[in-house]
Parts: sequence; structure tokens; C-alpha cells
Amino acid sequence: MKGTYLGEFEEVVLLAVAIRSGDAYGAAVTSEIEQQMGRSVNLGAVHSALHRLEEKGLVNSQMGGATAERGGRRKRLYSVTIAGKRALEEIHQLRNQMWESIPKTAWS
Amino acid sequence: MIIGKKNHPPYWLDWLLERFCAPHLWEEVQGDLHERYQLRLKQKGINKAYWFYFTDVVSYLRPAFYKRKHATQLLYTDMFQHNLLLAYRTFKRFKGSFFINLIGLSLGIACTLLIYLWISNELHIDTFHEKDHRLFQIMENRKTARGIETGASGLFAEILVRDMPQVEYGVTVTPPNFFPKFTLRTENQNVKAVGKYVGKDFLSVFSYDLVQGQQDKVLIQPDAIVLSESTALRLFNTTNNLIGKTIEWQVVNLKKPCVITGIIKDVPSGSSEQFDFLLPFEAFQNIMGMGKEITWNTNSPFHNYVVVKENTNLDQFQHTLDHLLKTRNSTAKDISLFLKLYSKNYLYGTYENGVQAGGRIVYVQLFSLIALFILLIAGINFMNLATARASRRIKEIGIKKAIGASRFILILQYLSESLLMAFCSLLLALLMVVLLLPQFNQLTGKQIHLDWDLQMILSFAGITFFTGLIAGSYPAFYLSGFKPTTILKGIVPTSWSEIWTRTGLVVFQFTLSVVFIVSVIVIYKQIEFVQHNNLGYDKDHIIYFETEGKIANQSEVFLTRLKNIPGVLNASSLSGYIINSYQSSGGNTTELVWNGENIRYNSLGINYDLIETLGITIKEGRSFSNAFPSDSAKIIVNETFVKRLGLINPVGQIVDGREILGVTKDFHFQSPHEKIPPTIFRLERQYNSTIVANIQAGKEKAVLEQLAIFYKNYNPGFVFDYRFLNQDYQTLYVAEQRVAILSRYFAGLAIIISCLGLFGLATFTAERRRKEIGIRKVLGSSEWGIIYLLSREFTRIVLLSITLALPVSYVIASDWLKGFAYRISLHPWYFITAGLVALGTAWVTVGIQAVKAAHINPSQCLKDE
Repeated sequence: MKGTYLGEFEEVVLLAVAIRSGDAYGAAVTSEIEQQMGRSVNLGAVHSALHRLEEKGLVNSQMGGATAERGGRRKRLYSVTIAGKRALEEIHQLRNQMWESIPKTAWS
Repeated sequence: MIIGKKNHPPYWLDWLLERFCAPHLWEEVQGDLHERYQLRLKQKGINKAYWFYFTDVVSYLRPAFYKRKHATQLLYTDMFQHNLLLAYRTFKRFKGSFFINLIGLSLGIACTLLIYLWISNELHIDTFHEKDHRLFQIMENRKTARGIETGASGLFAEILVRDMPQVEYGVTVTPPNFFPKFTLRTENQNVKAVGKYVGKDFLSVFSYDLVQGQQDKVLIQPDAIVLSESTALRLFNTTNNLIGKTIEWQVVNLKKPCVITGIIKDVPSGSSEQFDFLLPFEAFQNIMGMGKEITWNTNSPFHNYVVVKENTNLDQFQHTLDHLLKTRNSTAKDISLFLKLYSKNYLYGTYENGVQAGGRIVYVQLFSLIALFILLIAGINFMNLATARASRRIKEIGIKKAIGASRFILILQYLSESLLMAFCSLLLALLMVVLLLPQFNQLTGKQIHLDWDLQMILSFAGITFFTGLIAGSYPAFYLSGFKPTTILKGIVPTSWSEIWTRTGLVVFQFTLSVVFIVSVIVIYKQIEFVQHNNLGYDKDHIIYFETEGKIANQSEVFLTRLKNIPGVLNASSLSGYIINSYQSSGGNTTELVWNGENIRYNSLGINYDLIETLGITIKEGRSFSNAFPSDSAKIIVNETFVKRLGLINPVGQIVDGREILGVTKDFHFQSPHEKIPPTIFRLERQYNSTIVANIQAGKEKAVLEQLAIFYKNYNPGFVFDYRFLNQDYQTLYVAEQRVAILSRYFAGLAIIISCLGLFGLATFTAERRRKEIGIRKVLGSSEWGIIYLLSREFTRIVLLSITLALPVSYVIASDWLKGFAYRISLHPWYFITAGLVALGTAWVTVGIQAVKAAHINPSQCLKDE
């Protein structure tokens, strides 16, 4: 397994997978990110991030159902693993901890 | 929603993606892309959707999506690895045949590599000159009663520069061995050195590197001298600041001061001519009192070289040259001139009746052939052992074929095995070459280094690849041809053709070995013959040295005192050298007309007692004697001279105005390839250049020590540089002796490699017949019976090879002997010995295995199963 360091974009993708849990495939995850962040995202970039996350063991995947829009092709459904959940929690906790450490005077 | 054609994303992008994207990712990717496209189509319209689709597809063109899954991608390297693994296992399983192959192939390859190095060195001799392809020697064909004689033309090259616009440079040069060694002298140093007189453009024609001095000026002044670096070092211990210094050269009794005008690098070993210094030809003309005017006369003894301009039509040039000669020189009607590429002279130097024939190239061809044969012999070992052991690998082949391996893949497998073997052997062979190179250089008289340049590495790899290929080809085709249905049933197909091929290959090996052995014997005998042949004079206790300094001026006094030294039996002098000098090897030929026929003969100027000193027998008449002053106008001739002229009662007859005083028996002063030429001796006491002394046998060392002291006192400032005639005689045979020694090694190698193969086969047969031997022993067969049983087949093979080899070797040997004017006759014993040696070694090889097999305890080999 590669190192489990999580890049910024990877973190976003992982969060999007969690949000769309149950129906998280490439196009859906991309739309989710675009909606949340309000900017357009490359499908290829999302896909390769998903593959990296899978290699790191933070998500796993299986093939799911096909639709007409997809030209009858199946989708690959990703779901966050326990390791992925823990990674997200750690980041969250770290951010909170850091937020709280900021002295009040910093904003004045 | 139904997707119509109109709603479909652009096909070409899909096509691109399908090509690019790894198959296992493609479905998901394409699906997602299409879904996004449809979404955009609804939201933003066709143009935007199209554009975004394009950027999306482009975003997939990254390595992560291109990378194919392992299984499909590395199929070929996998197979290769598998083949190597199998080869490795086979080597491990059959250690015996592995080592036999390894030793055989590496010996063969090492030998081929050495021969390759030698050949490539030979082929590059004299090619280092910058204007190599435009540098020619002027040669002539002279029509005589005995056919066309070809040789260097004496036509002065300068005249071609003057009269023919196509000629860029032309130089006249004194031929090699024209002079004895010169003495170069500074105030406090004396050295002996080889020198030549050369035309002023010599260094523009030949590319000898001038390190100091100006190329077009160094040979202009008549008193100039150009030294090689090592000569300069010998004279001055330095090569710096020598330009302008004056030294003195001396040869025989000529001496002149000269000024150093240039220093050249030492003549490279790749040059066929070696010299230590150069003098301007003009100096020689001055000394000899030759006129400066140049004519179209071709009779000078000098060598002439020209550089023609680029793009000269050679045929046309030669035509014009010949035409000019005929019009300018009315006496040259029997002579035609031609140009010969200088660098070709070394390998293609021999002419027969005006046509280029043989020369050193013959040895190059001979050794290439030997190298090829030795490689073949080594390759055959591999073939035989591989096919003989086929039964051991038959299941492997059957299963592979049943699973679906094609014949091609199996062939590839066996070839990779043999190639691996060959490259393993190459490593060992390289080690041998590195270790043997110094000895090889000594043997061949060359300075070959391993340069590791691209050409050499490629050739080495090529030789090895070729070996692997020939060794592996037959087993590969043979083994891959089995039918899986039969071999999986356990039937080992032993076809007659296979056994015949194997036998045939062994026969081939031994035939070659026997031919090699016969050649060794014949070469050895021939050389022994010419060396111990009665030469017509005593060569073993004769020393000679050049007359120099005081000796040159007072040679009579010197000779008298020399004779008085105890241990010196006799002493005399002559002009020129005795063996292989320019004078005695045909360079000093003179012509006389006898009964309307032109007869060329050698003429040697000698002092009193020379014939006695050398021990040449007087057959009729008498030798020159002090007692008769009139002898100085008379001559002594050899038997060949008498025969050539057809004289009866020669003594007292007048030939060419001179009376014959005596007739000597024939004597050999030439190389063994040449017939004894008609020779006359005339009495000449003034310009003799060589002192000859006969020293008492057994006392050489003491006498030479005394001589050295006497010489030093008598002739201070000179080096007592003597040589034994014997040594000179040896150098006449250098080529033959090298061939003799090399062929001995090659024959040894051939027989060793052949026997290795035989050993492998015998081991294998003994192994396969273990049970048979066991049963035979149980039933009462004696050990001798079993040894006989096992060696019978091999004896038959070797006997067949001997029968085949003898006529072949007879033809080769008699052809080689034809090149000698005086040769041995081929004795049947040479062939019988060769046959017995081959048979004997084969018996010993097979016998070891047979005895081992015969000693087997039947209870051991019969207990399993």
C-alpha cells in the first residue's frame, strides 16, 4: 500500500464519495464536487484521484448498474472504507484543533 | 431516454479514448463520460457539451489510464525469462554436458577471437596513411623469356609530377634493406639506426606524424635529417630543442654531417616499413654523383610512390602513363607500367607471370578458415550432446506442445538456450584472450591490444551469436519436431536420420582433427628439412658485422689482425650481406646475353677467403688466391650458373669477357620458396661493407668476448654490432615458423574439443546402457567384453573419419609444399601417425568411460524399478 497521505483534491473527492454514499460513481462524484465548489472539474482528474484513493485503501469499488445515458455501460460504484472514514476524521479533528489554537488576537 | 445519433458524443473522441484507455478501465470511463455529456447537452447545449466532452477526454490522456494490466503487457519478456530459467535448470541438471559445452565453446570462441584480432590487424596494415586511397606505388611488368616478371619500377616519380597533371605528389625512396644500419653520432653518443633516403614530399605522401618541424620544409635542404622520437631519445636523451643541431651519419665508409630539421613520431606498428630516420634523396644523389636531370628511365633500383588527385580515372591514367613511357623511352618496349595501391602491397604482394597471386592474404584466408572450423567443431559438441539428451527432455516438449506451444516458440526456446551457453562461453573466452594475448603477440610478432571499440565489441558479439546460432539450430529444429501424441505415450523416436546426423557430425569433427594433425606433421617436417638441409655452407658458427670507421679504410689490416685472434678460424669480407639482403635476393641482378638469350644472375663482390670462411665447396677449378694477381679479373660461378648457360668444362671459359676460375656447389642464400639463382663471385676488395668470420665451435662465448675487446681498441667510437648468420637464416622462415607453431596449437585445440564431445557422447551412451550392462554382467559377460562393446561404435566412427581425412590432407599438404622450391616428399608415415594419434586419443577418451561403466556393480544398477 502506498503512503496514506491525503492530498487536498483527494480529500475533496473522498468527501464527495461519502456525501453520495451508495451512488458514488465517477460522473456523480464530479457533479457533486462541481455543485459544492461551484467550479467545473475534470472528469479525468476525479477518476485518477479515485484510483489513487483505491490504491491507498481509502475507498473500495464494485461494478454497478447501467443506464441509457451511459450508452448501456456499467458504472463503478465507490464507497468509503473504514480506513477512509478514519482518515477523514483525523483531518477534521486536526483542522478543528488548529482552529481552536488560533489566538483571538489573530483576527483583530 | 433514447440516445439517437444526434445525441451521441463525437465518435472520433470515443475512438481515441478506446485506443488509449486501458481495457479494464475503459467501460467505467466511457460510461461516466457519456453520462456527463448527456447532462451537459441538456443544461448547456450541444456546443458547450461538445467542448467539455473534448476537454474531459483529453484529461484522460495520462499514463495512469494508459497502463495496461501486467498479464497482457509483459508476455514476451515473461517467455524469455521462462526460457532462461529452463536453460539454467537444464545446465544444472546436466552439469557434465554443461561443462563440456562451456569448455569446448569457450576454447573455440577464444581461438576465433584471437584469429579475428590477428586478421583485423593484418587487414589494417599500411591503411593509416591519410591519402591511403590515392597513394600508389609505380610497378612494372617486364616481359622476359621466362614469362612476365613483376616488380617495383625504378621510374622516378618526380617525372610524373612534372609530366602528368593528375599527379599531386611523387617521391622516390630507397628500398628497405638497401643499406646496412647507419651509425648516427653526436659528440658523445653513437647509435645504430635504420634509415632511408626519401624524396622531399615524403611526409606529404605518407602520414608519419611530424611533431616538430614544418611538413613541406624538413626534407628540402640536402643536409637535413628527420629523426624519430625514440632515435632522438637514444641520441640526446630528450626530444626537445633538437631542431638545428648537427649530427653525423655514417654508413660503410661514407659519412656526412647533417642538421636535424624535424622529429617524427615513431613509425607505428601498423606500418609494413620500419625506419628510424629519414634523409633527403638529394643528399644521396649528391653522394652518388647522379645527375639531377630526370628521365623516363625505369632501371633505377629505387621505389617510387605517387599520390594522384581526387577523382582521377585510374584506367585512363595508367593508359596515358604507359603511352608516355613508350614514346619517351625507346628501350622500354618490353615494359608496361601500372599503379598499385600502396596499402594493398602488404597483403597482395606476390605476382605470378604478371598476375597478382597469393601473398600474405593466403594466410589471412587460411586462418579465417581454421577459425571457422574450430567454431564448427565446438558447435558440433553442443549439437550432439543436446540431441543425444533429447530423450531426457522429451516429456517437457510433449507437454509444452500439448498445451499449445507452437514449433516456433520451442525453436526460440532452444536457440535461447544455446545463445545463453555461447555468451557464458564468451565470458570465459574473453578471460582466456586477455591472459593469452601477450604470448599470442610474441608468437605472431605483432602488437595487438584490446581497444574495446564499437567495431570490436560488435564483432565479438557477432562471433558469439553466430556460434550460438549454429550450435543451437540443429537441436532446435530436431527437438521441436517431435509429435506430442507419440512422445507423451513414452515412445522415444530414434530415427535413423538422427543417428546418422550425429555420427556424421562426429565424423566431420574427427576428419578435421586428423587433417589438422597431418598438417602439423608436414609443416614441422618441412621446416626441419629446410633448416637442417645442407645449405652448401656453414651457417652455425659464422658471425658478421659491418665495416665502419677505421675498419672501412683499412680492412685488409683489420682482417689480418682478426685472423690472428685465437678461435677465429677464418675471416673475410664482401660487399652487401649474405642472406636475404638486397644484393643476394635478386636486387643486384645483372644481365648478360648468352647465345641470344638474356640471363639474369646475381653478382657478389667478395674478398679472398670468403668462400673458405663460409665453407662453400669448390667443385671444379680453384678459389681466388693472393698468389695470382690476375684473379681480380676472373670470376667464380655456382653450379646453377653453369647449368643455366649449358657450359661443359666451364673452368677456363670466358663468359661476358671474364674467365671462369672455378665452380662452387650450389648454396642457399635465399628464402626457401625461391630457387637458387645463377650467381657469380667477383674479387672486390675496396668497397666491402661486411666482415665475416668463422668462429671455432664450442668457444663462441670466449672468442666473442675477445673480439669485442679487440674491436673496441681497434675501432673506438663504434659499436660491435655482430650477428650470427644462423639468426638471419631463421628470419627467412619466420612466416613458416609462425604457421608451424600456430597450427600446432590449433590442431591441439581441435583434437581436445573433438575429444570433449566424444567424451560427452560416451558418458551418455554408458549411462543409457547401464541396465543393459548390468544384465550382461549378471549373465556372465567379462569387463573386457563390455569395454569392447562400448568402444566398438566409436572406433568405427573414428576409423571412418581417418579414411576420409587422409586423401583430403594429402591434397592440402602437397598443395602447400608446392610453394617451396626445395621440399620434403610426403611420407606415408605422416598419415599413419596422424591416424594413430586420432584413434589413440579417441580410445583413451571413450575407454575411461567404458572402464567406468564396466566396473559397475550389477546389483546397484538393476535394483531400482
